[in-house]
Amino acid sequence: MRIVRITSCICAIAVVLMAGAGVVARADAAPSASAAELKDAAAKAPTTATLAAGDPGGAITGTINDVPVSDAKAGLTLADVANQVGQNKIGINFTWTLVCGFLVMFMQAGFAMVEAGLCRVKNANHTYMMNFFVYGCGLFAYWIIGFAIQMGGAAGNGNLGGLQPLASEHTLALFGKTWGLFGQSGMFLAGHSYDVGVLVIFLFQMVFMDTALTIVTGACAERWKFLTFAVSSVLMGAFTYPLFANWAWGGGWLAQMGTNLGLGKGYCDFAGSGVVHAVGGLTALAVAMIVGPRIGKFNRDGSSNAIIGHDISAVLIGCFILAFGWFGFNPGSTLGASGAGCLRIGSVAVNTMLAGCTGTFGALLYMWSLKGKPDSSMSVNGMLAGLVAITAPSGFVNPICSAIIGLVAGVLVCISVSFIENTLKVDDPVGAISVHGTCGLWGVISVGLFADGTSNYGGSWNGVTGSVTGLFYGDASQLVAQLVGVATLVGFVFTFSFVLNWMLDIVVGQRVSAESEVAGLDLPEMGQLGYPEFVFTPEPDYLLAAEKVALA
Amino acid sequence: MAATTSQGKTFTLFMMGLTVAAAGLAFSGSGSGKAAVVLGVIIIAVSFAGFMKIKPLEGMTASGAQPAVMKIGGLCVVLAGWLIVLFGLHLTASVTGRMITSLIGLAISLIGALLILPAAANKNAIWKV
Repeated sequence: MRIVRITSCICAIAVVLMAGAGVVARADAAPSASAAELKDAAAKAPTTATLAAGDPGGAITGTINDVPVSDAKAGLTLADVANQVGQNKIGINFTWTLVCGFLVMFMQAGFAMVEAGLCRVKNANHTYMMNFFVYGCGLFAYWIIGFAIQMGGAAGNGNLGGLQPLASEHTLALFGKTWGLFGQSGMFLAGHSYDVGVLVIFLFQMVFMDTALTIVTGACAERWKFLTFAVSSVLMGAFTYPLFANWAWGGGWLAQMGTNLGLGKGYCDFAGSGVVHAVGGLTALAVAMIVGPRIGKFNRDGSSNAIIGHDISAVLIGCFILAFGWFGFNPGSTLGASGAGCLRIGSVAVNTMLAGCTGTFGALLYMWSLKGKPDSSMSVNGMLAGLVAITAPSGFVNPICSAIIGLVAGVLVCISVSFIENTLKVDDPVGAISVHGTCGLWGVISVGLFADGTSNYGGSWNGVTGSVTGLFYGDASQLVAQLVGVATLVGFVFTFSFVLNWMLDIVVGQRVSAESEVAGLDLPEMGQLGYPEFVFTPEPDYLLAAEKVALA
Repeated sequence: MAATTSQGKTFTLFMMGLTVAAAGLAFSGSGSGKAAVVLGVIIIAVSFAGFMKIKPLEGMTASGAQPAVMKIGGLCVVLAGWLIVLFGLHLTASVTGRMITSLIGLAISLIGALLILPAAANKNAIWKV
């Protein structure tokens, strides 16, 4: 018995010692194996002498030797490799977001051409200049305060490194929940906001903001005073747009309806049918009401007259510039091409194309069937309507639904143009209110109808686990969230813009004098004709008669 | 009279005031930040006074007076619709109930935006003369 006990003790001690040795051995084995593998791989990498011979096929450029080493003494480690992987992900996402932002910036040229082309030649310089200067007005206002209001509390985006400096959102406690109202970090991009990730998101969000601002210039063309346009645009870039954009994209209350009230994933707007286009379109409606119609647009009996633009070719080419830029607008809103569902960028791009295509068909066939001609300006508005409408749902829907959304938008824009002109008696030279306002709201609603629940952007959206799903795919609460967004656009954004511009009308005056309007805004407002060598043809009799009355 | 040097100067003043006020807000924790906000607001107010001074010199516009009371009424209706939507979210927790209150509120807002305000804008429109 004693021998058995002693033997058992010795065996137990031996087992313990072996286990301990094994633990020590395992702890030593992991770093040794990986370090050895890395060292081996480094040794096998092409040498300087090999690379000096040239690499026309690209087979030996870009190897383990290009991974930065944090400690030269320790050599390349697994941590070094992991850090490089992280840098690569963020680098890919930065590049994608910035290039898409550059494309959206170029849309300013498209807007300028579409708007100026639909205006008379005597107002060409003024219309082009509004689209030119709105870039500076918006960018400056956004830099000094707008960005902070919109994105000051938007920290947490993993695609761009976390955006941790943007961690200050002013909130309101109501009904037992916390609701975001506006951000407070990022003014002048100074202090902690001077951060590589923050600067990327600033550029991307700024070009979206400017798109909203430029929409208003189209609706108020040919009679909007340049001074008031500038002041109005600065204030819109500083306050109107950033406020709603915070609520939707910056951690504000609209997006929080999912977590706070269980309404789907909160207000969802992938690339801005609501945030950009409806904000711009509804502001355009407000200002167009205040500034009034062009001289000669309406007759005494309320019937309207067509005032023909001077350059349809500019309109058509401008539309293609916009369609091209939309490939930055929608796919770029993934804010990356690596990780968290970003490989869906192809799907978003195709959805965008399809909606633009069916939007064109919707408008062109509507006009051709009912009015007798495939009207070019309405066809352009049809394509733009489709692109505007798909902007919000582009990241959440399938190609068939995209085509349907675009088709509906193409028909809707034609009906809306007629309604706004003939029923509301609001003059909109380029159809901006219908394209961006009406179809923007349709885009917001279509998320609540057509989102199919297959997208996966990191497993959640607006802090709610799962995919965005609309009514037709089983979630009616998402539609409610979208309707609240629509109501906020109409109820708050439109009202805010109306009051702001009403005040500007009292203080500055929105409209040019009748003499300037009759002469054309190029000379009185800009001091230079858009086309100084053109011989102007006389305007139609109904316009001449209306101008005579106005000057009297 | 259209674009003038007076317009240019008052706009420059406005931009300066906005920049100074924003800079003050950015550094509002310090005493100089608060002072900058006050200075910026004063400059903006001066620029607005400048705008009002030059406005009458710019000639008659081809637009009729829009009745202020009607516009205020229209804006109140638009805002009321929105508030109905917001409070409706807390009146009931059911999706159907929230959908109904949202649609009702939206309809009221649209009455204000598409019926009352355009009527106010066109009440004394120049094309009716």
